[in-house]
Amino acid sequence: MAAPIDRRLLRRGRATRNVLVALAVVGVASSALIIGQARLLSDAASHVFSTHRTDGVLGWAGLLALVFLGRAALAWLSEVLAHRAAAEVKSRLRHDLLAARLARPQNPDVPTGTLVTLVTQGLDDLDGYYSKYLPQLLLAATVPLIIAVTIATQDLESAVIIVITLPLIPVFMALIGWSTETQVRRRFTVATRLANHFADLVTGLSTLQVFGRARAQLTGLRRTEDAHRRETMTTLRITFLSSFALELIATISVALVAVSVGFRVVFSQIDLRTALFVLILAPEAYLPVRQVGVHFHDAADGMAAAEAAFSIIEDAERHVSPGTGELPDDTTITFDGVTHRYPGAERDALAPLTLTVAPGEIVALAGLSGGGKSTALAIAAGLLRPTGGRVLVGGHPLDTLNPGQWKTAIAWVGQLPGMIHGTIAENTALGSPDASAADIAAALRDAGALTLDPHRPVGDDAEGLSAGERRRVGVARALLRLRSGGARLLILDEPTAGLDSDAEATVLEAVRASGVGALVVSHRPAVLAMVDRIQHVGAVAQDA
Amino acid sequence: MPDASSRRTATALVLGLVDTVPHGRRRLALSVLLAALASGASVALMGVAAWLLSRAAEHPPVLYLEAAAVGVRFFGIGRGVFRYAERLVGHDLALRMESALRLHAYDRLSRTTLLGRRRGDLLVRLVADVSAIQDVVVRVAIPFAAASLVMLGTSLILTIFSPAAAAVLLGTAVLAGWVLPWLSQVASRTADAATVPERGRLAAVADELAHAATDIVMAGVQPAQLARFDAIDARLRGAERRAALSRGVATAGQLVAAGIAVTASLLIGGQAVAAGRLLARDLAVLVLTPLALHEVFASFTQSAQVLTRARAALTRVREVLDAPPVGRGDQPLDGERSASGVLAVRDLTAGWPGAEPVVRNLSLRVGPGERLALVGPSGIGKTTVAATVMGLIPAVSGEITAPGGIAYLAQDAHIFATSVAENLRIGRRDATDEQVVDALARAGLDLEPGRVVGEQGATLSGGEARRVALARVLVGLETGYRAVILDEPTEHLDHDTAATLMADLWRALGDEPVPVLVITHDPEVMAQCTAVETLGPPAP
Repeated sequence: MAAPIDRRLLRRGRATRNVLVALAVVGVASSALIIGQARLLSDAASHVFSTHRTDGVLGWAGLLALVFLGRAALAWLSEVLAHRAAAEVKSRLRHDLLAARLARPQNPDVPTGTLVTLVTQGLDDLDGYYSKYLPQLLLAATVPLIIAVTIATQDLESAVIIVITLPLIPVFMALIGWSTETQVRRRFTVATRLANHFADLVTGLSTLQVFGRARAQLTGLRRTEDAHRRETMTTLRITFLSSFALELIATISVALVAVSVGFRVVFSQIDLRTALFVLILAPEAYLPVRQVGVHFHDAADGMAAAEAAFSIIEDAERHVSPGTGELPDDTTITFDGVTHRYPGAERDALAPLTLTVAPGEIVALAGLSGGGKSTALAIAAGLLRPTGGRVLVGGHPLDTLNPGQWKTAIAWVGQLPGMIHGTIAENTALGSPDASAADIAAALRDAGALTLDPHRPVGDDAEGLSAGERRRVGVARALLRLRSGGARLLILDEPTAGLDSDAEATVLEAVRASGVGALVVSHRPAVLAMVDRIQHVGAVAQDA
Repeated sequence: MPDASSRRTATALVLGLVDTVPHGRRRLALSVLLAALASGASVALMGVAAWLLSRAAEHPPVLYLEAAAVGVRFFGIGRGVFRYAERLVGHDLALRMESALRLHAYDRLSRTTLLGRRRGDLLVRLVADVSAIQDVVVRVAIPFAAASLVMLGTSLILTIFSPAAAAVLLGTAVLAGWVLPWLSQVASRTADAATVPERGRLAAVADELAHAATDIVMAGVQPAQLARFDAIDARLRGAERRAALSRGVATAGQLVAAGIAVTASLLIGGQAVAAGRLLARDLAVLVLTPLALHEVFASFTQSAQVLTRARAALTRVREVLDAPPVGRGDQPLDGERSASGVLAVRDLTAGWPGAEPVVRNLSLRVGPGERLALVGPSGIGKTTVAATVMGLIPAVSGEITAPGGIAYLAQDAHIFATSVAENLRIGRRDATDEQVVDALARAGLDLEPGRVVGEQGATLSGGEARRVALARVLVGLETGYRAVILDEPTEHLDHDTAATLMADLWRALGDEPVPVLVITHDPEVMAQCTAVETLGPPAP
């Protein structure tokens, strides 16, 4: 059981540290109560055994009831504490994950689906880690030691059996784990692949139906299912071995203690009171360790979720632009041999690009699909950082400038503009908080969205808006930014095929009117007719 | 949904599945028995050990203790062995049931037409929901059944020593093993019900922020949007806190029940010894056995909560299984054929069964080699028309004549996680290797037929995936299909990719004198067709 507690969890949640301390205290208090319970039981039972009288038993019973009440209260406390820690850490990680996405909105390593699943369900695996595994781990670290020492004060021989066998449990589990690890992992991969087969078929069901082939897959699916089950069972036979070792050592040790104590009672080497005390306590020494094993999978799931979250969060923290400089008055943007290569890619997504867009200039990027036009736009906006060359704004390197200030100086129209939950008007005014209702209506009208009601709600993931309508709202959004005077550069990416909107031309007229610069990717003749220069991007670099 | 009926549907589903598995009932009985033996061994270990110590305190000849000592050792080993066997048998049964449920679900789904129905989420959820059956079997059914056997058995045996103590033990065991887990399950169901809407909202906002991240950042409104997310998160936390409080109460309650059992045994047993009704050496057995028995129930409140979630999942599965089939699933490839090679539709009124028709009185005629564009605003039901023309759903009225099977190129055609060649053979199972290679070349793809394309075709770009789907259509045409429907062939592709794809597509289809019906709202695609038919909003 390697790395049971991730230090990063401690660093991120102050609650985690406090809860660890509190849980340790609860653990010590619980062991004290368990020892008290064993003492009371063995005293009472041996007293009745030797005297055949019940005087004093009522007192012992009363104390015993109190001890159980105390243990119940501690158990409740431990659950509540663990939950509080889990809730706090989960909230913190959720917030940090979304902040990480907003810090690197175009990070290709983290698909949106993965991020959303992690935020909503993945992190819930931390519940198991905090509410089951962590308390048990703390108990496992405190209770066996306290109990072994207590037993040693009463009967050294039993304590020796416990001290020798207890460490065998983690040792055997680790040994079995190591020797079977590669086998288990290989089988697990096979099993996962087989399990995904069903998901693949169900997702592609309508495709199969269209070709009249859906029903026919049932035979193949049945075969895969059988293979899947057999593979999984082979894996399980091995993975269950380690818990088998754990159960076996734990119970067999208790049996050894019981038999050894029993034979010494016969020869009066030890009295019944002590013998019962040891018998009651012995299983308690193994219980927390056994429970750690039982909940180990909860911990593994939780740690995997935390690991996934941390890698995204820390990655975003590394990519935060360090710039603090004020935006200069001159917002001429210059690319000086700028290249970009995505991590792990074999080729540059953007071949060296050199260009300048001065205020009042409209420059179009042209080139083959996949040649890096959209990448160049993202670099200009500061959404991606170049892996080679430099970007200057008014002569200052872009990464020395305050990244937030630069972004808010850009009117941005992406390929498929993102929508937030709210009305069309709210989406149009995103980034233009001072826009009046009249301004919004005018922007929508000029963007060709005359038929869109500004009060119409936009649902999750732009539900209720067609791709063309989203595009028009995006253009209206940029118009509003340009007209309000806040934007000093327009960046516009071509829409996907199939949209017959010439609204882009309107936004370029607004650019002309306000005298700011523009960097656009477009195929529309109406747009291309208005540009000052066309810059080729990609392998066939030409002069600007 | 009403709880009682959800409980019934989930239970009926589980019981039905046990019977689908070969020797299902026997396997279930065996795993329950093994689980009971495993738990029973730990209880027996404590009981026999207590007797061993007390008997030893009477200083008998050692011989008299040997049997008990062997018993203690046997139970010490038996517990681990029985548990290991139980886990294997139980998991095997659970996996078999899960397989059976998957096959059943697939069978049902394949009989209902899915084209053009927005059921993507439901299908993805179904895949996850089906695995809930494992939890129900392994973590709920077997442990609870086994624990019931153990509590009954233990109480019965203790009746020999003291019926009163045995009765108290049974009462507290029922409390800790059944009543408290059940109460905690009810409480957590209520709490979960409260968290479900908050969870949904949280997921929706996370999804929305992640999708709109670039625009949010460019507008500089991150703080406000994150605050909106945090507010929902805070509400979810509140709801979850209430759930945790009730869980803690159940765990505490179990310890109180154990306390009652132990204390009562001590009092009742002590009285019995004093009165001479109980041998002194049996007192320890009476007092220590409840301690071990109550340990068996320790994980039960958690299991009960597992049941809450599993039941909800299985109820959703059941809804899919019980939904009456719509349409006929597979395209019928043996329908009536027009000898002229014309795809014709006369006076067609089409719509999903039970819903308003999406088009009325549509008439079309596409001759061999002709390309007819069917255009209209999105959401009007053009795909429904395609499904009707292919015979996947019955026409409300009107006549359809097709020259044979119709190959369909969907905008979201699924690329299966297998080789490129196998993906193409979905178009026609008996396509030869040469036909596959030829179709790939004509679709403008330079891909090895044996190359395995990843999950969801992830190793392919959007344009490549569309071309694999095109090659699949071409293979079909070459070996049997006699007409083509293209459904939004350029959707979601960027301009350049779309333009080269369409050029290659027309070139490849040019070899085949078949009628082509193109569903689109792309003006450039319309311009490439020989005729255009516009679908208006359906007449009232």
